[in-house]
Amino acid sequence: MTRLLSNGTSRRNFLKTSTIAAAGTLAAPSILRAQSSEIVIGCAGSHTAWMEQIVTPHMKEAIGADILFEGTKSSVNLEKMASNADAPYLSVVQMDDPVMIQSVEADLLTPITPDAVGNMTDLRPDAVHMEGMWCNYVQPWAGVAYNTDFSEGVPSWEALWDPANAGQVIIPSLQNTEGMWTLFVAAMLGSGKPFSEAQYEIEAAFAKLEELKPNLLSVYTTMSQAFNLLEQGEISMLSGNFSSYTLPRKAEGVPVDLAAPSEGIFAMPSGICLVKGGPNPELAQAYVNEMLGPKMQAEIADFASSVPANTTVNAGAEIPEGVPIFSPDWAFVAENRRSWIERFDKLMAL
Amino acid sequence: MTARVDRVALLAVPGLAYLAVIYALPLLMLLAKSIRTADGVSFGEYAAFFSDEYNMRVLWRTLRVAALTTVLALVIAYPTAFAMSRAKGPWLTVFLVAMVLPMSLGVVVKAFAWSILFRANGFLNSTLQWIGLTDGPVRMLFTETALVVGAANVFLPFMVLPIYAVVRQLDSRLPEAAASLGASPMFRFFNVTLPLTLPGVVAGSAFTFSMAISMYVIPSLIVGERQQTMSMLIARSFLYLRNEPLGSTISAVLLAIAIFVVVFSSWLARRLGARQ
Repeated sequence: MTRLLSNGTSRRNFLKTSTIAAAGTLAAPSILRAQSSEIVIGCAGSHTAWMEQIVTPHMKEAIGADILFEGTKSSVNLEKMASNADAPYLSVVQMDDPVMIQSVEADLLTPITPDAVGNMTDLRPDAVHMEGMWCNYVQPWAGVAYNTDFSEGVPSWEALWDPANAGQVIIPSLQNTEGMWTLFVAAMLGSGKPFSEAQYEIEAAFAKLEELKPNLLSVYTTMSQAFNLLEQGEISMLSGNFSSYTLPRKAEGVPVDLAAPSEGIFAMPSGICLVKGGPNPELAQAYVNEMLGPKMQAEIADFASSVPANTTVNAGAEIPEGVPIFSPDWAFVAENRRSWIERFDKLMAL
Repeated sequence: MTARVDRVALLAVPGLAYLAVIYALPLLMLLAKSIRTADGVSFGEYAAFFSDEYNMRVLWRTLRVAALTTVLALVIAYPTAFAMSRAKGPWLTVFLVAMVLPMSLGVVVKAFAWSILFRANGFLNSTLQWIGLTDGPVRMLFTETALVVGAANVFLPFMVLPIYAVVRQLDSRLPEAAASLGASPMFRFFNVTLPLTLPGVVAGSAFTFSMAISMYVIPSLIVGERQQTMSMLIARSFLYLRNEPLGSTISAVLLAIAIFVVVFSSWLARRLGARQ
């Protein structure tokens, strides 16, 4: 009875071998990943197109890295980093500034240094944050995406509140970073102050947002679905959309365009960071260096109609002339965002 | 014989161990998080959850949508199961493929397809206007009706198959015997056929309700953030508010409802079985 198999293997040996085999099977992906040239990058879901077409092939050629990217929202990337802080599997994350601030507070990032990432020295000074904890790599601009079959443009943000557009508008949830633009626009219109001052007038913002409800068809957290409805003509305007998404679709012949309302537009805070204790740190630094280098900067900026952060690069989107561009106080946003999300959800609920 | 039965019971050990580690343990950890505070054990999160009027609205909406989805799926599934039980040869294959094949299509793809169907100039609105039932487009996208229709579509196989399994074993001579005694078709259905198929109805309804009450992707895509459900509140708590105690509390409430449905349906199925 102590012999289990015909070749004389004992039950104890069989169990021992099975356990080792099972442990090896479970550990294999981590072991292989640690030894391979593969790195996992967390990024925005809307970046999928250029990550696949531009970044992945370039990184294979330039630094020999196999890129596995996970496209999702910045907040979800933060949660992934926090949940796996003891054994990170992401090496680099590309996400928005307010979530970067939360990541720094949670001690989830490691600084980017010019020694390891030489191209960092060519960036605009305002693209490097908190002593190198993260850098902005490209900056799309945000305005109002509209269907050109229904309108010739959106001259003012007030158009979102125009009764003629009842049921014709979709706005992003505050769970999405681009949702902040509609909040700040509401603050500006509600308080009558310029963006720089209005961004702190949150009571005025929520009061003005309440007036927007009759015009809303929906509030999205999945942008591609909302954009699809804009393309189909189900809605006429999509608030807070950005150049890296709308303008490539326009170039493909879809009847959409991005308006820069006269009151001002916004700079999307697209950042890149190194995950503290992440796998393959040298390869991760090489990846970031390439992302900040002139070749990648030019290609991404052109593809995604964005403004490059590298000062040696002359490519990408042209900022609409004569329209102020606003970058908010992201520290204030990071501090208050959770309570704003809860309040926003309750206000917008049907 | 007993020893033989015991050995057979051992076959369940891998499955039970798998469920214990992958299902029960994380759930227990989740429940612990909902009552654990820095000072010890507290049910404060539950009190806060149930005292928030918005949370109660979300809970009520979740239950309502799950119930309506179950009813709609049942209304469609019941006659379908009878048609399947009568089908033979290639027709039965067609029915089974029609039930199973849509399950291989992702919910995201389905949701985009429904948006084409439900939009202002979509097929449904065009048809309604063409036959003169409406003068202009009716808003269908981002409505609870669209959510119930979409969810019933996704969960339909889980209602059809348990009913089909019962109907297939139904002794066709019993309704015939009732007919020979002068029972009308309505009487035969409500007093013979329906009671005999109720175990399948209960099982299908329990499946559908349990899945409908916890669905996340379908409401996220069909009704969006303005009509949140319990699952959307859980995701928001963990991913965006980073409030684990709140997320764990809502998860525990949802789990309690699901457990009640499963236990109640099991009891009901046993009782119905005993009566028959």
